[in-house]
Amino acid sequence: MSEKENSKSFMSSMMSWIDRRFPVTENLERHLTKHPVPKKVNFYYLFGALLMVVFMIQVITGIWLMMFYTNTEEGAFASIEYIMRDVEYGWLMRYMHSTGASAFFFLMYFHMFRGLLYGSYQKPKELVWLFGCFLLFLLMAEGFLGYVLPWGQMSYWAANVILSLFGAIPYIGPDLQVWIQGDFVLSGITLSRFFALHVVVVPLLMIALVVFHIFALHEVGAGNPEGVDIEKHRDAKGMPLDGAPFHPYKTFSALPAMGIFFIVFFAIVFFAPTGGGYLIEKPNFEEANFLKTPDHIAPVWYYAPFYSILRAVTFGIPFLGITSKFLGFIIFAASIAILFVVPWLDRSNVQSIRYKGIYSKIAMILFASSFITLGYLGTKPVNELRTLIAQICTIFYFAPFILMPIYTKYEKTLEVPERL
Amino acid sequence: MKKFLILLIPLSIFIYSAGENKCGSLEKCDYYSADVHDTYSLQRGLGIYMNYCSTCHTLELLRWNRLQRDLDIPETILIEDLIANPDIKIADYMTFGLPEVSAIGAPDLTLRTRVRGEDWIYTYLRTFYEDPEQLTGTNNLVYPGTSMPNILVGLQGIQTLDNDGTIKLKSEGSLSRAEFDDSMKDLVNFLAYASEPARITREKNGIFVILFFIIFTAVMWLLYREYAKEIK
Repeated sequence: MSEKENSKSFMSSMMSWIDRRFPVTENLERHLTKHPVPKKVNFYYLFGALLMVVFMIQVITGIWLMMFYTNTEEGAFASIEYIMRDVEYGWLMRYMHSTGASAFFFLMYFHMFRGLLYGSYQKPKELVWLFGCFLLFLLMAEGFLGYVLPWGQMSYWAANVILSLFGAIPYIGPDLQVWIQGDFVLSGITLSRFFALHVVVVPLLMIALVVFHIFALHEVGAGNPEGVDIEKHRDAKGMPLDGAPFHPYKTFSALPAMGIFFIVFFAIVFFAPTGGGYLIEKPNFEEANFLKTPDHIAPVWYYAPFYSILRAVTFGIPFLGITSKFLGFIIFAASIAILFVVPWLDRSNVQSIRYKGIYSKIAMILFASSFITLGYLGTKPVNELRTLIAQICTIFYFAPFILMPIYTKYEKTLEVPERL
Repeated sequence: MKKFLILLIPLSIFIYSAGENKCGSLEKCDYYSADVHDTYSLQRGLGIYMNYCSTCHTLELLRWNRLQRDLDIPETILIEDLIANPDIKIADYMTFGLPEVSAIGAPDLTLRTRVRGEDWIYTYLRTFYEDPEQLTGTNNLVYPGTSMPNILVGLQGIQTLDNDGTIKLKSEGSLSRAEFDDSMKDLVNFLAYASEPARITREKNGIFVILFFIIFTAVMWLLYREYAKEIK
């Protein structure tokens, strides 16, 4: 026997030894080398892979930041500046983490919009969508908790605004707020518990949900922009005719996308890390001071659409004892909760927007444009005109979902082709 | 659908044009964007800072030796002329022995340009005018009622406010208007550096990282094309 064959048989006997005890090969084949995905998809289908990349950036840079960060009222702000000045490449870690947060939301919004456009929530993908919605919720919590940690003015006051929403809940509100804060005002006690939640609890839940999200996806198979079921037509080996193995075909299509993402990402990290005050806000370079409220409290851009919805509610329901603030909180929560039930609102017999009727198309345009407008308004101070526009946009935000069971059932759809 | 999009454009311009870019009592700040790679400008800015600002304002997050390294300052000049105090070590912060909050309440300047913006500081420093109603005898267009006296009056000269809200030069200072503006640019440039010393390395090395990823993308694109051929 030659040396090459010898080593090959050694490797394969090694693998079979492991496989009998831990199914490495079986899982690699199931999830990578034999997992079929549609051959023809568009750029919208790359955001999932990019989200994984960003998640890894956040975890790795987060670990490094945690090594130098101090989670106390006295030390937090100074430790961030210590990271920016005295830690070698600390500034890079910090800017990558802060830009990564924005990138996470940017990609997440596109990833979910793809889901809405191409019906990636329809039967049997309901759980994939649900796990994804939970991930959005966790990401919002994670972003909020992390935003408090630099202990700047905007950290402090934006957190105050959000925590006061819990205080607006009738009867239990004030006690609930104190329980969450751990103090009668937002203080160092709140800071250190937010730190614990930000670095341990929420990321652990996110990792678990990412695993669920992917396992569920690999069970039901990835979709495509046409909404064609690729499982219907298979070749002699059982591989779908319109499918290709995930690895190498999809992994290698994700690499150039990753390259383009990194060009944009590092252009921001190196040349505009504060994003003109949209990614890191100016008041956040001033240490938190509970005696001095900033002139204008605005959330970071990725919460702005939801913040706008919150502010758009300028009226309460007095005879039920519901204040405008609490009603705003309910509608704000509903704007995220409504995403969870989308799989059961869509009654269409086709998946993709390409074959849906005109009402679905109008609904998507209305939803997207109102989301962007709400986002813009959320970063600006209120005036009468802006409140009115925000109220109209809030209606346009909800209408596509609330009316979905009606228009998707009755509108005329096009015939979906058999093959991709 | 297209008609709807066309309708959106005027609507969006209408909302998006309502800006809040006011600069105190001014409509807009004068534009200035720092260039921290101009070492000579940073050195001149440091000079103005040491002569005029450091009497009241600290830089509590900037170390002397960081300053020395980034601004190419010879060690003898740093120790004998700038620090000029045997009790202060070169790794100490630039607090000039002042307490954390000085008696007159002058804020620390390390992060001021990041809080206010470079434009704001540049405009602020140049819009002091005579106002006998103020305690300091001067007032400011960008920050009306500021408690900072016009410390730079010797350089700029005395300015007054006309009835129409514009500033006029009443008596000449030691610098011409253009020279004064240039030295304020140097000063703001130095403060921008102090607010983020890493900006020098950041902007210098960023281009190489981006070049790397452009090449990476190109190679990965070629690789992807080879694989894409197989599944055509």
